[in-house]
Amino acid sequence: MDYNGGTVLAMAGKNCVVVGSDKRLGVQNLTLSTEFQKVFPVTEKCYIALPGLATDVQTLSELFRLKCNMYKLREEREIEPLTLANMISSTLYGRRFGPYFCEPIIAGLDKNNKPHIYGMDLIGCLNFPDDFAVAGCAEAALFGMCESLWEPDLEPDELFETASQALLSAADRNSIVGWGAVIHTM
Amino acid sequence: MEFLLGMTGKDFTLTISDTAATRSIIVFKNDEDKSLELNKHVLMLYSGSPGDTLHFAEYIQRNVKLYEIKNGIELTPKATATFTRREMATSLRSRKPYNVNLLIAGYDVTTSLPHLYWIDHLGTNATMPYAAHGYGAFYTLGILDKYHRPDISLDEAKAIAKKCIEELKTRFFINLSGFKVKVSDKDGIREIEI
Amino acid sequence: MARRYDARTTIFSPEGRLYQVEYAMEAISHAGTALGILASDGIVIAAEKKVTSKLLEQTTTSEKIYLLNDNVIGGVAGITADANILIYYARQVAQQYLYTYDEDIPVEQLVQKLCDLKQGYTQYGGLRPFGVSFIYAGYDSHHGFQLYRSDPSGNYGGWKATCIGANNASAQSLLKQDYKDDITLKDAKELAVKVLSKTMDSTTLSSEKLEFATVSRNDENKTTYHLYKPSEIDALLKEHNLGGQETEQ
Repeated sequence: MDYNGGTVLAMAGKNCVVVGSDKRLGVQNLTLSTEFQKVFPVTEKCYIALPGLATDVQTLSELFRLKCNMYKLREEREIEPLTLANMISSTLYGRRFGPYFCEPIIAGLDKNNKPHIYGMDLIGCLNFPDDFAVAGCAEAALFGMCESLWEPDLEPDELFETASQALLSAADRNSIVGWGAVIHTM
Repeated sequence: MEFLLGMTGKDFTLTISDTAATRSIIVFKNDEDKSLELNKHVLMLYSGSPGDTLHFAEYIQRNVKLYEIKNGIELTPKATATFTRREMATSLRSRKPYNVNLLIAGYDVTTSLPHLYWIDHLGTNATMPYAAHGYGAFYTLGILDKYHRPDISLDEAKAIAKKCIEELKTRFFINLSGFKVKVSDKDGIREIEI
Repeated sequence: MARRYDARTTIFSPEGRLYQVEYAMEAISHAGTALGILASDGIVIAAEKKVTSKLLEQTTTSEKIYLLNDNVIGGVAGITADANILIYYARQVAQQYLYTYDEDIPVEQLVQKLCDLKQGYTQYGGLRPFGVSFIYAGYDSHHGFQLYRSDPSGNYGGWKATCIGANNASAQSLLKQDYKDDITLKDAKELAVKVLSKTMDSTTLSSEKLEFATVSRNDENKTTYHLYKPSEIDALLKEHNLGGQETEQ
């Protein structure tokens, strides 16, 4: 989990959510890339954030893209956040005894634009927070930042600012996290 | 101990690999080519356990060739890198994973853009303007951070490559024997002297 | 009619024919028409829906034209149940390609994969061939816009304008007459509805009996598809004076 670095977070506001990550890819202390994607769009208003071992981040992002595309073609509608979270959870549990080293976070709005955030561990045990979810190498620092900065019913702009500050401050305290960040607001 | 490096320029990709074939503390050979042409425009550099490297590289090369024969079109550098990464990631979860690190350097004729992909033995694939494998990375990435731009000409790239090799010769305590430099552009792949 | 050589699907008759495959093609020639026209800046697919009964609930989604991948759509003529199997297979093949190469599948490779499956049922015993013909319209960076047609035997070919289903011979000759090599998507749309209006059995065209779709490239150089909504089809028919009371032949 601490081999390639990287961290992600998601926060819920008033009819909005944000999800973000840092952009570093490294091998222990050697930074290789500062443009590494860890947050992946599924629909217009639903994203998956995948922190962890980079090879598994890529394998899983490609696998989930395949599954979500097939879902969309078959059902002729977009996947809902809760459905997506359960799909990811069962995919991870399918590798219970040889897991992918990745702890996904799912953030999105459902068809009524209600915010949803889900976190899980590497074998797919789901969490249902209604404030924020964090994961990755700077998880501990992020928990602290989010606990102190987050408040209920933030508007999109305020939520973006809160999440940005939390992410940047947490990244500054971790040597294998940082080198740029990205936040998506829904 | 092995060293692989690649950088993209305006309309080409330049690669360097060392030419030492070693086992333990013995140098067996000093003109080893650690690269394989996957198709006309895509070059793969490899380092790692001696048996694994060539076996894996040839496996990929033959699959890329098969695709070409079957479908009558060339695989793009991106498609090649994605395919190679998947094979590596699958191998990681197998009974005996390959211990191979790769650079895939190529020129995409459909978009007229150079590409460079860094793939490690776990199946991590990163696209980068410049990348390196091995201890040499610690010496050379800093030089590239300073001098590399996305739109450099071939002559500029050669000058940077020279700087990197000089640095390795002065600061790295292992003698890497020699270096092979190759370029991939719209005309294909060729070896060059610097 | 032949009797001795069609007990099994995979037996040649003395004249060297595979009757079951020919019967499958016969089945298709009773199905609703589907036609495709390749234009310089896109492709259009139009299809005739056969309304069996007024009591039958109208499906909300399309039943003749399907999205196979982000860069390919398909028009169907034949047994819908068979088509569903093939459509699912095509989608899976396309997604598997995206998974392996991180690129959209080239159109011809998708067509080839489907035809390999169809061909299998003309050679391996015990099962009947798929009673479906397809029209495929798609774009890839290798060969640009492409239009293909495949039949139950597993044969396929690239076309500039083609037609499957009922009255396909007359539709094909109409297309041959009016097709121009540098036709635009706008003219191709007009040609498509005109041909259908002449070949369809019913006297009036409407969104109830038609399905319509196009593939083109947008300003950002991305492949886009457009499955027409009923209101859009009616507007298109009105534009070319073919809807409502207007009757042509």
